[in-house]
Amino acid sequence: MNTGPTEQNTASGRPDGGEAPDPAPSGETGGAPAPPWKARLAAAQPWATLVCRVALAGILAFAAYTKLPPALSIQSVEAYQLFPSGVAEFIGITLPMVEFALALLLLLGLATRYVAAATGLLMLVFIAGIASAWARGLTIDCGCFGTGGAVAPGETAYGLDIARDIGFAALAGIVMLWPRSPLSLDRLAGLYR
Amino acid sequence: MGKAARREARERLKQQRLKEQQKAKRNRVLLVVGAAVVVVALVVAVGYFVVMRDRGGGDVELPPQALQTDGSVVLADSGADAPVLEIYADYQCPACKQFETATGSAIQEMAAAGEVIVHYRPVSIFALRGEPLGSNSLRGGAAARAAADAGKFVEYNDVLFENQPAEGSAGFSPDELKQWGEDIGIDDPAFAERVDAESEVADRFAQDYAPELLEKAQGELGADSISTMPVTDLIAWGDENGVDSSFLDDTYVLEILEATGAVNERYDGENAFAGTPSVYLNGAKMGNEMYSASSLRSAVAEAEPGEPQSTPAEDTDTGADGEGAGGDAGASPSPSTSPSADAKE
Repeated sequence: MNTGPTEQNTASGRPDGGEAPDPAPSGETGGAPAPPWKARLAAAQPWATLVCRVALAGILAFAAYTKLPPALSIQSVEAYQLFPSGVAEFIGITLPMVEFALALLLLLGLATRYVAAATGLLMLVFIAGIASAWARGLTIDCGCFGTGGAVAPGETAYGLDIARDIGFAALAGIVMLWPRSPLSLDRLAGLYR
Repeated sequence: MGKAARREARERLKQQRLKEQQKAKRNRVLLVVGAAVVVVALVVAVGYFVVMRDRGGGDVELPPQALQTDGSVVLADSGADAPVLEIYADYQCPACKQFETATGSAIQEMAAAGEVIVHYRPVSIFALRGEPLGSNSLRGGAAARAAADAGKFVEYNDVLFENQPAEGSAGFSPDELKQWGEDIGIDDPAFAERVDAESEVADRFAQDYAPELLEKAQGELGADSISTMPVTDLIAWGDENGVDSSFLDDTYVLEILEATGAVNERYDGENAFAGTPSVYLNGAKMGNEMYSASSLRSAVAEAEPGEPQSTPAEDTDTGADGEGAGGDAGASPSPSTSPSADAKE
């Protein structure tokens, strides 16, 4: 990612080489003026990212909370029958904590781009897990929110679960591609300003 | 100094500044990413530590365990004046295994210290679910009951949960069940014989009897009423309607089915039995706090002393101090006494 030459530019330009000009309404408007819709989009982006960040943080924190107690979270992982029991136990105990930590970081806006990438990756892993349970004909609750385990054959909701996780992955993708947003610790560190 | 040279110098300076800025940015990114990684590692490590410490563990010198007339087992220090913790579990139920893993050591420690009277009441909520779920559940439950005859129920209970088959896979084979008995020191040949005999009954129940009973009942009673019917009622209905259950007579398989039917009658309202694991502290159903050893400990510490609602199978040095303990049931030493006799709560 080759970003702008000055610190201001580093911060304002899309770090991934987006061609949008400095969206700050004031300040120098060097170069050709962008079409107004583009400027408006650029001005709205940080707030859109903030909304996605906070929404994702809320979703993750809620998911972590509803997975407790750890004993039942372990059971949810074991229901996938993908891991030896020691591994399932470790995942079951640590997954809610990982989710909680990611939620905290998103809320604080620390390492926003990378935390969002990790969250998106986590969602992809979840999707793979649900798809594998579906493909193997297991009848389980995904344990995404709340505690999982076996359910009656007619009560699975794999398609819905996957669609929902795709939505969450999309939120994470937005934050990852446009990490610049107000109220973030990254700004204090001089990033994505 | 030529113009070109000056321009070149300026350009070089610019390049250098750019490089420095890029380096500074990279450092800032590394800084925030490093901080984020530390936060994640800290949260996960602290959480993991807390969960593992909560479990406790280590070997406990078990207090006496007393078989009850309904096949349940009371684990209590002799003369313990303590609250009663009733544990209803199915050996095939994954959440029961997790309950056991999270709190088993703590419960045994409390029992050993005379702080609680533990009443283990194995049931089979999966009995009618056919192969392999139902037969695993019944084989496990019946074998645990046989281990109780040898005075090793609690040890065997732990071994069964440790080796619980995945839901939907065959497990708890008679050979395994016998081997685990040997491993914990049951050397009475009666145990092995009983496990073999009960396993046959359990398999027959799951493979032949339950499907026939369910098919007939579905036709005449409807699926809805079957799903809410205690298993013992369904068996009784079958006997009246040509599905003979006499092969169950005097078996531990029947005993565990009766224990399952009885708990449905024992509790109602907000305490109603709704699946396993169900844990009752002095007759009050516990919520999710039961899955944490520390919150279970504090709930027990706050509870009043109680009496187990059952009758010891024979005079033993049980923790229940005798006076009026389950005086509501005929104190027959027969292992197949009616479990509804102790419906008292």
